[in-house]
Amino acid sequence: MEYAVETFSLTKIFSDWWGRHKVYAVDDLNLKIKRNEVFGLLGPNGSGKTTTIKVLLGLLHPTKGRSLCLGGHATDPKISARIGFLPEESYLYKYLNARETLDFYGRLFGLDRDVRKTRIEALLDMVGLKAVANRAVGTFSKGMARRIGLAQALINDPDLLILDEPTTGLDPIGTRQIKDLIIKLAQRGKTVLLCSHLLADVEDVCDRIAILYGGKVQANGKVAELLQQTDKRQIITDAISDEAIEKIKRIVHAENAECEVSSPMNKLETFFINTVVAAQRSSKQTSGAVSTTKIGNFLTVESVSRNILDKLVATPVSQETPAESPATEDTTPAKIAETQPDNQLLRDLTESTTPMQPVPTGLNAETQPVQTDVPTPPDQVKEDVLDQLTGRAKAQSEKHEEKDDAKAGESGDA
Amino acid sequence: MRSIWAVAVNTVKQALRMKIALIFILLLAVLLPIMALTGTGDNTFKGRLQTFVSYGLSLTNLLLCLLTLIVSVFTLTSDIEHRQIYTVITKPIRRSQFIFGKLLGVLLLSGALLVLFSGVIYGIVVYAPNYLHPSQSELAQANNEFYTARKALSPPDPDVSKEVAEARNRLTKSGDIDQIYAGMSSAEIDEQLTNLRRVAGRTADVGQELIWEFENVRPSDPNGSLFIRFKIEVAVTPPDAQIYSRWAVGDYRRYVAGTAPMYPFQRKDPVKSFREIEIPAAAVADDGYLAVVFLNEPLNDTPVTFPLADGIKVLYKADTFTANFIRAVLIIACRQIFLACLGIFGATFLSLPVALLLCIAVFFTANVSAFVIESFDYINSESTFFIYLYTIKLFVSLMPQFDKYSPSQYLVPAELLSWSTLGWVVFYLVCIKSMLLLILALTVFSFRELARIII
Repeated sequence: MEYAVETFSLTKIFSDWWGRHKVYAVDDLNLKIKRNEVFGLLGPNGSGKTTTIKVLLGLLHPTKGRSLCLGGHATDPKISARIGFLPEESYLYKYLNARETLDFYGRLFGLDRDVRKTRIEALLDMVGLKAVANRAVGTFSKGMARRIGLAQALINDPDLLILDEPTTGLDPIGTRQIKDLIIKLAQRGKTVLLCSHLLADVEDVCDRIAILYGGKVQANGKVAELLQQTDKRQIITDAISDEAIEKIKRIVHAENAECEVSSPMNKLETFFINTVVAAQRSSKQTSGAVSTTKIGNFLTVESVSRNILDKLVATPVSQETPAESPATEDTTPAKIAETQPDNQLLRDLTESTTPMQPVPTGLNAETQPVQTDVPTPPDQVKEDVLDQLTGRAKAQSEKHEEKDDAKAGESGDA
Repeated sequence: MRSIWAVAVNTVKQALRMKIALIFILLLAVLLPIMALTGTGDNTFKGRLQTFVSYGLSLTNLLLCLLTLIVSVFTLTSDIEHRQIYTVITKPIRRSQFIFGKLLGVLLLSGALLVLFSGVIYGIVVYAPNYLHPSQSELAQANNEFYTARKALSPPDPDVSKEVAEARNRLTKSGDIDQIYAGMSSAEIDEQLTNLRRVAGRTADVGQELIWEFENVRPSDPNGSLFIRFKIEVAVTPPDAQIYSRWAVGDYRRYVAGTAPMYPFQRKDPVKSFREIEIPAAAVADDGYLAVVFLNEPLNDTPVTFPLADGIKVLYKADTFTANFIRAVLIIACRQIFLACLGIFGATFLSLPVALLLCIAVFFTANVSAFVIESFDYINSESTFFIYLYTIKLFVSLMPQFDKYSPSQYLVPAELLSWSTLGWVVFYLVCIKSMLLLILALTVFSFRELARIII
């Protein structure tokens, strides 16, 4: 099976009470989403994105055509056990608390009690709702409900993840976290179908996109190919002298081309994360979701390296980076990856001045070695993120560095 | 199975935390003790018990039936309307499993509440002697006529077809038949004439005797008691509304042969109310034969009639009060199963208010359906509404007949509700009617587009 999702002339027409055809929500749609691909379904409101997903999942019957998910029909329990779905709004049972909600969905998947327990704790930790896990979901803000919605979509460690507008209502850190998660899942060979009209989100994570309008695909292809301006070149340098710039300008003019020189702007996302981290360092209490950048342990079990994310964000990769490089060069044992907290990530994010890059599924060949990171003992994993981010964490990590220097010989990792 | 259970538990949580069940629990928790304290009946100890059981069980039945309906309709329509079903049904659970889970949850909740509140009623009734302190005779009466389960035998209806045919011929010859029974079909005229003959057979003129013969009277305790339960109606009510009578009970065949005496009683009873005469079980012959003789004392100066349905019965202990009570509660449980299936069925294709309205309409029709069916039988089938009548009658016949087998109808007169009667209720209500609804619900739900909103 080559494709994770396939549709064959899928058509959905909504008719009125008398059976007269009214709206062509999806019109002769032929989607082919490969395995291990992050696929973005774009389009303005009412373009048929959500309807497509509902037909894929069997919530609506197609008027014509058919669709396959993971080689079968999504209503087959064997298939649906491997699918994670986050609907356009997190439709949750208001009267359950966060932990009960996840437990309920875990039971629907027939997960054993122990598996359920570990996954629920890991997911609550990941979405930053551990502190409010015993509060009824109905009292949550939209963003918090979104986080629980995301957690329920991940509880079965799905092979195919279908996300309908996953970032609506989320704060930028949550948005960033979802994007990181999508990348990480793709690295583990999962397929993600992302449906959104927030173009920035799609651009950051998707390998391929299709743009829908009026239920029809208007454009379809690889993000890099669709967006690359082949008639332009961009050069990014350190702060060089004015003379050097003049020299470059002369060279460019000699080629009969125009040249613009400016200092790159920080992305607002980076600025926002900086500000929040600063607030967290000063130990401000919040009654809402705790912003973490953790990703559930069980979701990263097979991941190649704990440092991939850190590298990706810390590395100033240029826009033209080819996306094809396979993830081969990292050698850190996977076993350690399971136990690593991602507390380093946020710091890296804030220190990095490079805007977020469109990240391909595989690893970039150009990825530079990351500053030596210190493995933290496993018992640190579930420690409160706030603590880790505040000064205490800094002191601790320094201590760890000393400890780990000593340990380095035996572990062979440092 | 695991996912069915998960849905069921979630349904119970939904009903409890959304406070639907809470209102019913509170109502019952407040009203039952109040009833126990205020109900007085006819001011005897037995009367108090009868009043409490009658009202308490009827109230529990009504409220828990409504609760079952509301929760079953609400739990499914709410999931569809608030779209939680999107995230649930896309998990590895079949639609039928989801429906079974919902049904199981509703039944767990209403069943648990039924056990709880019928337990409270049972407790209040059984421990009543400890806090009401009845006199010895009152307690004895209650033990014989309330804390028991008695089999009730009605005298067999005599064959009056010959007299009916004669009367008909006579009326036809004289031409009176068209005047007296104008516009009636021949079957209806026959029925009226039959009833007239039968009532005549149960009417004693002044100074006249009536005799009923019962077969198969088998009291469980040969040293215990039997009861003759009767109700008297009169043509002219005496000033004190009391009727003087003489009774004789025993083996009439041997009495005629002069080999055995009958047990004589002299009584004075109010008209139009149920009365009981206690007689020794020894009055019954070895082959289960028992004769009851009634003499209308000339003092009364009015003919006396025992109404057809429940004018006279012989009662004897056949089971314990506890077993009878449990079976009566099981009848309510059968109703709950039916109503849960009905509610789920309605919710599969209707929105909350419409489904609820439909279910409540069915529920109240079911409460009077036996009466409705009977009244339809009296309507002239040759009238212009012929087809209309038959469609409604068919529809009503499909409804369960809650008023035909009501729990208090058995517990108040301490009448035996046999396992076979309960078996009939289970068969018709659960195995046929509930299953039919469930199959319909599963069919509709499995073909339905869940993401399409019903307006």
